[in-house]
Amino acid sequence: MSAWVWIAVAALGATGASGRFVLDTLISNRSGSRYPLGTFVINATGAFALGLLTGLALTGDALLLAGSALLGSYTTFSTWMFETQRLAEDGGIAPAAVNVAAGLAAGVGAAVLGRLIGAHL
Amino acid sequence: MNTDFLTLTTYFGERDRGASGLVADELLDLYGSQRLAASVLLRGTEGFSQRRQMRSGSLLSLSEDLPVVSIAVDTRERIESTLELVLGIKRRGLLTLERTALLEGESTAPMPGAEAKLTIYAGRQERLSGVPAFVAACELLHRRGVAGATVLLGVDGTRTGRRTRARFFAANTQVPMMIVAVGAGELIAAAADELRELLHEPFMTLERVRVCKRDGRLLARPHELPASDAQGLALWQKLTVYTSQSTTRDGRPLNLEIIRRLRASGAAGATSLRGIWGFHGSHAPHGDRFLQIRRHVPVVTVTIDTPARTARSFEIIDELTDEHGLVTSEMVPAVRAVDEAKRHRGLRLASHDL
Repeated sequence: MSAWVWIAVAALGATGASGRFVLDTLISNRSGSRYPLGTFVINATGAFALGLLTGLALTGDALLLAGSALLGSYTTFSTWMFETQRLAEDGGIAPAAVNVAAGLAAGVGAAVLGRLIGAHL
Repeated sequence: MNTDFLTLTTYFGERDRGASGLVADELLDLYGSQRLAASVLLRGTEGFSQRRQMRSGSLLSLSEDLPVVSIAVDTRERIESTLELVLGIKRRGLLTLERTALLEGESTAPMPGAEAKLTIYAGRQERLSGVPAFVAACELLHRRGVAGATVLLGVDGTRTGRRTRARFFAANTQVPMMIVAVGAGELIAAAADELRELLHEPFMTLERVRVCKRDGRLLARPHELPASDAQGLALWQKLTVYTSQSTTRDGRPLNLEIIRRLRASGAAGATSLRGIWGFHGSHAPHGDRFLQIRRHVPVVTVTIDTPARTARSFEIIDELTDEHGLVTSEMVPAVRAVDEAKRHRGLRLASHDL
């Protein structure tokens, strides 16, 4: 892998992380929901986009850059888990379980949908 | 008792920056160099400001800029000269001045018929016969039948003119903490006298408040204040709600629901501060226990607004505190919403007899 690919991975990684921060702040500021909607939307859209890319049969450097670098830094497992723990702290097990179940269902569903669409394009 | 004291409180964001660094640092450097009698910097957990910007410790992206509150107490003269310098710091936020009385001398004169708020400024790790001083103080306040007491831990401050700042790798024994107790005037005065002996000359201030609700019972509505005093100076009101993190409404902590509803209603702003120990009803003082999922610490939620909007906010708070919580109201004689674009000069205190 060339040095340029590494530089591109770093740049796209930074873009994904910044994009997530901006989008999450925007959604969280608008929504009055008790659930962390920002993280939910980010993970679901990220999973959909990654499904779409693999459905389009992207390979090699293109997949590395768009998938691992951009979407990998855009989506966030740790935030999902952290916010779930905070929900449990505030409201007990039930809202925390809903957050895990909803995030999981939406994420897997979005990835499947993305793949199907990608494969037919 | 010396009644010629003022409390200067500022509400802003943890990440707000001034000309020479973080506003929180600039402010506390200033309080340190002015050698103020007592000051505390508290980190909030949740809040919103005039710009509707939400700050929340529940969401990762919103928790990188939490609300912070700085409180400084000294004589009127010293606070007024410090205020000019504070107004010189270019930043956004809310600033309030409140009259307060410093408790000194042998015994505290009770305020007959009135209710009072006692604030005790102490060091974090003071101990009394093996028990943290704040636990002993809450125990005493609870035993004396005071309506509520909450212990808030500071991250920075000054005590008798000395800077006391929390550090990451340190025992932080001198970091300031604040105990806020409210109740009937006579009970508070009696408790203050006992605390003076118990805590070896603590720094304590006393203010008048009205206890509006306790454990769901409506005791009195907030004072109906005119928009301004006889001189035309604007009057403001502060509502404070003492709840517990474990008290939920529709599965979320009561204080978060209060903040959400106040924000939706167009209130000027609100801030929640999480305490470490306390009580606000008939239950015994409590904090968190080891190894638990839910948190049980006390929470204090403050909203400052015009008399007209305070009346509206109280309706919301009244509805939400139908079973739990202690609600108090106070008059605030001077409030300034500052903004980095404008230059701000002095602030005059309004006068109004309740």
